[in-house]
This record gives sequence, structure tokens and C-alpha cells, in this order.
Amino acid sequence: MKVSLFITCLSDALFPRVGEAMARLLARYGVELQFPTAQTCCGQPAFNSGYWKQARESAITILDAFEDSDFVIAPSGSCTGMIHHYPKLFENDPVYLERAERLRAKSYEFTQFLVNVLGVTNVGATFSHKVTYHPSCHGTRILGVKQEPLLLMQHVEGLELVPLPFAEDCCGFGGTFAIKMGDISGAMVTEKADHVIESEAEVLVGLDLACLMNIAGNLMYRGENVRVMHLAELLYEGVVAGESTHIKA
Amino acid sequence: MSQPTSKLNTVKERAELALNDEFLRKAVKFTTERLRNGKKAAAEEHGNWDDWRERGRQIRLHTIAHLDYYLNTFVENARANGVHIHFADTAAEAVQITLDIAKQVEAKSVVKSKSMVSEELHLNTALESIDVETIETDLGEYIIQLAHETPSHIVIPAIHKNRYQIADLLSKEAGYTLEPDTTVLAGFVRKKLREKFLEADIGMTGCNFAIAETGSMVLFENEGNARMVTTLPKTQITLMGMERIIPSWADLEVMATLLPRSATGQKLTMYMSGITGPKRQEDGDGPEEMHIIIVDNGRSLQLGDPEFQELLNCIRCGACLNACPVYRHIGGHAYGGTYSGPIGAVLTPSLKSNVAEWDDIANASSLCGACYEACPVKIPLHDMLVYLRRRKVEAGHGNKLESIGMQGFATVMGNSGRFGSVLRLGKLGQKLVVRNGVIKTKLGPLKSWNKYRVTSSLPKESFRDRWDQLEREFTSQPPVMTEEMKQRLERIAVEQQQSVKKGGQHNGH
Amino acid sequence: MGTNSEKHQQWLEQLTEQSKAKQQKFMNNISSRLGHPRMTEAPQHPFRGAPDFWSEKNWTTEQCVEQFTVNFLSVGGHVQRCNDMDQVADFIASKAKEMNPSHIVRQDEQELEALSLENLIPDATVKVWNSEAETLWKSEAAQADFGIVYADHAVAYTGSVVVKSAKEKGRSVSLLPTVLFIVIPASRMVTRLGEVLITLDEAGRENLPAGIHFISGPSRSSDIENDLTIGVHGPGVVYALIVD
Repeated sequence: MKVSLFITCLSDALFPRVGEAMARLLARYGVELQFPTAQTCCGQPAFNSGYWKQARESAITILDAFEDSDFVIAPSGSCTGMIHHYPKLFENDPVYLERAERLRAKSYEFTQFLVNVLGVTNVGATFSHKVTYHPSCHGTRILGVKQEPLLLMQHVEGLELVPLPFAEDCCGFGGTFAIKMGDISGAMVTEKADHVIESEAEVLVGLDLACLMNIAGNLMYRGENVRVMHLAELLYEGVVAGESTHIKA
Repeated sequence: MSQPTSKLNTVKERAELALNDEFLRKAVKFTTERLRNGKKAAAEEHGNWDDWRERGRQIRLHTIAHLDYYLNTFVENARANGVHIHFADTAAEAVQITLDIAKQVEAKSVVKSKSMVSEELHLNTALESIDVETIETDLGEYIIQLAHETPSHIVIPAIHKNRYQIADLLSKEAGYTLEPDTTVLAGFVRKKLREKFLEADIGMTGCNFAIAETGSMVLFENEGNARMVTTLPKTQITLMGMERIIPSWADLEVMATLLPRSATGQKLTMYMSGITGPKRQEDGDGPEEMHIIIVDNGRSLQLGDPEFQELLNCIRCGACLNACPVYRHIGGHAYGGTYSGPIGAVLTPSLKSNVAEWDDIANASSLCGACYEACPVKIPLHDMLVYLRRRKVEAGHGNKLESIGMQGFATVMGNSGRFGSVLRLGKLGQKLVVRNGVIKTKLGPLKSWNKYRVTSSLPKESFRDRWDQLEREFTSQPPVMTEEMKQRLERIAVEQQQSVKKGGQHNGH
Repeated sequence: MGTNSEKHQQWLEQLTEQSKAKQQKFMNNISSRLGHPRMTEAPQHPFRGAPDFWSEKNWTTEQCVEQFTVNFLSVGGHVQRCNDMDQVADFIASKAKEMNPSHIVRQDEQELEALSLENLIPDATVKVWNSEAETLWKSEAAQADFGIVYADHAVAYTGSVVVKSAKEKGRSVSLLPTVLFIVIPASRMVTRLGEVLITLDEAGRENLPAGIHFISGPSRSSDIENDLTIGVHGPGVVYALIVD
């Protein structure tokens, strides 16, 4: 089985440790991983702004990269969600349309793959911290990722999950929205960070780097000490900690 | 303190004004949270909410897909009931017809119940211009009429006003000071408008739903003013958007289940009135003459457009406003049109078919999809916003700087080699702006971003730089996959392929 | 007045001609945009009405009364269970003692006549809707402190009563007075809104009254700072009197 990593441009460029954590977690189960280097970006920034021609140019690298894959895994609900939009993006080109539909059928957000495909809910992690979870909009609303991350966190030893007030509210990133409507976006991320602080969590965890980067940026700007992590990072760190504890015992 | 925002030209400018208005933000937040929570609770209590939404969607889709049949049936039946039907292609026509009727019946005053269509038409000013006193009777609408403002929310029009402002407005109207107490203020309005209801020549309404099979119209309300204006004046004029139709009373059950819960969290509004024609000759009240003006004003433009036809499903419940995080921060006036919130952001450009001018609104969204999730008839507003943006770009009205940026994006992202090079360049270039591992500069595109955030610097190695090493590690001593997992993967791989052949969705919802 | 003259009738007829002419163009525009020829027959409507599972919700009369009561009370209405119309009359009389109404208006229905309100509440003027030609009935209702109606239907799930207009049943009687009494025979109570709505479909266009009003509580508004206020335009005090 060819299981391919769709690392996403954000992880590739800014947060490689997240992609690496995801890869390492999957590798533990004997999953044979590939990283087709033709991939760049899913094209969402251009797609969302209405520049579909340009979005297609970027999307084609993704179609090409994963043509032969059996499964495509991304540490991002919004990038996987973008793949779900590929049939629309390529609706006027029958050849690409067919490829888009095939790609969509085999693409998964990381926790979806872990829980629903591999059947794993307990990765054997220990992470004794107070954690709050931000459910990114695209992952929840477009892909329907709701239970998977919660199941995974439930089985993490020592993890105390505290509720995030108004969790389902958007963090305000929205891609170019954050630049074009900077003040509205600023108001939204400030409110989101307020809620994170309100939750009294030590760690904010999420499934989407765009959101996490956005919220972390505001928290840092305000000098707040909350650690912001992608769930893949948290789980992997927890697994390593779990293994060390285990060896100690 | 709310200022007239009509002088400002862009959503961005109006939004800035709103963001700096503490009272407005608090009021909008409080209202939308209350309504949102109400809806959630009502939907949960009712149960099977998604099934009902799907049903509502199907009924509306079906009706719109056969609109010529259902609208025609409605017209024939309504006429048979004694209603005078008028067709208005444009807002101007609708206004003209209203003025003609008012002149003919020598009306001196009109009492109106809530009608977003009449807002669309700017009807009140037109009536005033022929010296017909026009009084809004919905409490919130009455208040903003006195303030010479437009509604800032589809369901609760005056949420941007506080009780002191309202007391001032009403005291001026009363000619004596009224306490800023809800009961006192509402009591004054009740008394004052009572007189108006009884003396008015014409009662005007909107139309929540029209029942095709019997030519009836249905109004939902909590105050009783819609009943007043359809019971007391001699002449009734109803403004009806051409898409506000459902086939039967049986279908009304679905709408009556979805609408009040979605709008305010109620099981049903205090009054739901089904009006079938003017009064019968022997009746002791009710209008002697009834007119329904069927308004197009850009609605028919959506028909046959696969990307926007669903827009006509809308039942004007306002749930999308209450769910929208952007609306919550900027309120309704920032949107600049009759309709605000997510529905407004799509309706205004679509009805005007003038994407270039109004696209500003389509940008006031982070595309979070909360509107779609909240919509009782499942309109994909978040997708439609992207289509509007695309149409603007395709029409050649894209922002120049943005177009250049996007072309750059395509050039870099269209080729992984170029992408890799840019990453390397970026790591070098950032040295100019990185301090202590972070970037705080507010230059160029980072200006908006770093106004509220601190940006991390690019890491030394990108993932693709790391991969070769990772791959070596993974292949040196690979763990063996369990048989169970192997079978799962194989089974699911097959299912995936089959789902493509069937044309279905997968792993979504 | 303008509306009764021949000139006016002519004008209306003219409008109708214009409207009919415009109608074709209007509908043709719709059908051409939708990409099909004008439809002359009703299309198949597979999703008519509520989802199928909903019709399985059927309560006993007792359950209906219970649920109706819960709903009506929750919105600030009042509910009184009465064994018979005598108890109904007594209840109304007791409220009259408390509130001292000077004007009462009731629908011209046999059941309400049997209450003998004139005898029960001698200090008030009791008017019977539309029973005399010279009276200005809308004004009477506007002056009334009490309005009394007899429900055509009631729906437990939504806590609603249904009143239909007719010669003897004015819409104003349930709308204008300050206090509203609605007498509901328990036998007329159903579980779901759809059970009433379907009777309207079955009755057919010609048999529907001008006004069919579903009333689910007292008039209300939260337009001022989200602060709930009761009795804005319609009656602020509403009594549902459920009679076995």
C-alpha cells in the first residue's frame, strides 16, 4: 500500500516538525510512507480569493504527486478540505476532473486516517498537561472531523482536556482574509485567544497549522505563556515520553 | 453611539467604524449569542434536526426548480380568492405600483409590518414623497424609523440601539419624557400605534410564505402587528419576493418547524397567520381590498445558475447572521446593503448582478462555513462567497496588487523546484527582519498581520530538506504492520475506488 | 370614498388585465431560465410535508393537554383545566372580579352564548361580534378589556390554538382586547401542527376562511436591548381554558 504524505506548504516551510511528528507516528505502525516531492501547495489561498486559474496551477502539483498513491494523508483539515473542492475546481476539464475525483476518494486528514482507516485510538502516549482543543472550521464543517481527535486525546495518559469556550468560532485566519480584512481578523483572533486564556489550559492543541499559527501569533504578541501544538506533535511527544517511562519501569 | 455609515464606501471602512464602537460590539455579541444558543437548544430539543433541514432543503429546491408552475398556480388561486396580483420586475416598478394603489384609494396613512422586501425597495421614502404617512409597526422597525436608520439585523432590527437612545427617540415622539424602561417604552408604542392601526387606510406586509395550492399567504410574528395591519385597514398591500412559495399547507409544517427555531429558538412564533384573500362579504373585519405585489428585483437572475439558484431557498431566518463570527464583530450596517450577514454578503451582489461594486462584501468572510452549518435549508453560502470572488476576478475586476501576488503564487507553487528555491531564499531574506527568532516588522503584507501578532521565523530545514534522512530512518528497521491493519487498508482502498465509480462522497458527512 | 366607486372598480379591472398580460412574460422568463418549457401539470413532489417518521408522533388527549400546558405556560400564557362550560364561566367571572373589565366582546358562537356572561358579569358591557349592523365592530374590539373566543383547533406540540375567521368570528376579537380567553374543547386538540395543516389542504381553496390564526401565547418582543416585554400589540394576558 502506497501511503503518501501530503505535508502541506505551511508544514513544509514553517513547521516541519509537525509533518515529521505525523510521519513518525504513522511509521510506528509499519505504514510504508512516501513523500512525493512534486507537491507544493493545495492551492487554497488562490482558490478562496477567486483566482481559480492560479489555484489550478498549484493543484496540479498535488494531482501529479499523488497520482499513484493509495492513501494521501495531510496534517490539515483545510488542505484536505481543499482537495475535496478539486472536482469543482476542475469541473470544466474531464481529464483532470476524473483525477480530482480519484484523489478526493483517497485523501484523509491525519486523525481521520489514524482512527477511521488504521483503526487506532490509543497511540500509547503520556502527556500530563491541561490541554484545550480548537476544532478548525474546515476540518469540522467540510470534512466532518469531530470525534477522531477527541478519541485520540481521551486515550492519552495524564492529559486533562478542558473545554474551550465558544470552541466552534472561527479563529479569524481565513487565508488572505487576515490580510485584506486585517482588523476584523484581528478582532476574531483576539477573541479566540481570550477564550484560550479563559480555559486556563497550558497547551492549545489543534489540527490545522494555519489556525494554530494565527492564534499563537496573537498569544505571543500579548506575552501569554500558552504552548501551541499540533495534535501530531503532541501525540508524538507523548509517545516518546510514554516509551521512556515504559523503559524506566 | 451609532453613526450613519452610509457615507462610507467600503466594508472595510464601515467595519472599522463598527470595530471601534464598544456598545455596538457588545450589543451585537450579546444578541447573536442569545439567538444562537436559543437555536441550538430548540434544535436539540426537537431532535433529528438534520433530517428536518434536509426536508426543508428538498421542499425549497423542488419549489424553485418548478417555480413557473408553483408561482403561476399561486397567482391563479390568489386571483380566484379575490386578490389583485401585480408583477414587478424591478424595485422601481414595485414602488410605482404601491404609489398608484395608494393614490387610487386616497390613502393618507399606511401602517407596515416587517418586510425586508420593502426595505429593498426603499418604499417608505417614496410614500412619504406623495404625502402618505408611513408607519413601521414592528417595535424594532418603528424605533429605527424614528432614528432614520436602516435595520442592522434581519430579525431584531434595532440591536444597535441602547435603551437610553430608544427612550430619547420615543420621548421626542411622545412630547414628554419616557423612562428608559422596556415596559414603559413598549407601553407607549402600544398605545401610540393602536391609534395608527385603527385610522390607517392601508396595511402593508411582507410575506413569509405563499401557499401555491390555495393562493394563501402566511405571516410569522411575535408582536401582533402583522395581524393588526391585515385586519383593520380597508386595503391591504403585500410585498412578496417571487421565490417565497411552497406548494401546500403540509409543507408549511416543515417551514414552521425550521424558521422560528432558527431565528429565535422558539417552537413557533406567537402568531402564525394564514390569509386567504380579502374579507368575505359577511366578515366583520379584514381588508375589503387586497393586493399582492410579486417582486423580482434580481431574483430571477439566480434561476438556471447552478452556483446561485440555491440562494432562493432562503427563508430569511437570520440564523446565518447569528452564527457568523464576522457579523458578530462588525454588526449589520457594515455590510452596507438591505441584507446583512452571510446571506447579505451573497444576496446583495447576486441581486444586483454587479459583482465588481459589491465584492467588497464577499471579502468580509473567513469562509469558516458556520453559516452553512446554521442554515435550516442548507444553503452553501460559504461556497457562494468564493464563486462571487471568482466571478469578480474573471470579470477583470480583481484587485491589482492581489492579482500580481496570485500570479507570483502560481509561478512559485506551480513547480516544486521553484518552491524549494523560494524557501531557501526566504530563509536568507528573513535575516533582515528576524529578531530573537521572531518577526515583528509591520512592513508590506506583514502590516495587518503583525498589528495583532508576532510571526515566527522560517526554520533552518524545511520538511523536504529533512525527508531523505527520515526515510532512511524509517526503512532501516521498519516495524511490521499487523495483519488486521493490513486488511483494513486493503479493504478501504477498494471501497474508495468503488465510491469514485458510484460518484459518491467519502469520509465526509 | 374612493374604493367603492365605479371608477375604482374600472381601475381594478384595468389592473387585472395588465396583470394577466404581464403574467405570461413573468412566468416565461422563469421557465426559460430554468431550462424547461412552461409546466402545465403539477410536478411529482416526493418530499411533501414533514419527514415520514414524524407522523408516528401521536399523543393521547391527556398527553396532549399536558404538553400544551407546558408549552403555553413557558411563554407566559395561562392555562386552566375545566370540567365543563360552567367552570369556564366561573373562571372568567372570577377574573372579571379581579380585573374589573368594563367592556367585553365575544364571538357569536353558541358555546360562548351558553356562558351567559351578561348575567355573570353585570358590571360590564358584553358585546357579541357582528351581531348588529350599525356597530363599529373593530372599535368595539379595540375598546374591549376582555375578548372571548372558541378554538377551532389546538396543537399540543407547539402549544398553539387555531381560530378561523367567519361572519360570527372576528379576527379582532382575539387580537385587540387586553385580555384574551380562549376556550378549547379537549377533543379538538391534536399532537402535531401538520394534523391541522393537512385539513386546510383537504378543505381546498374555496373553503378556507380569510383568516386562519395560530396563536401560541401572549404578544411579545425583545427588540429593546434583548429585554423581553409582553403585550406589545396583541393581548398581553392570555388564558387557555381547556374543557373536557
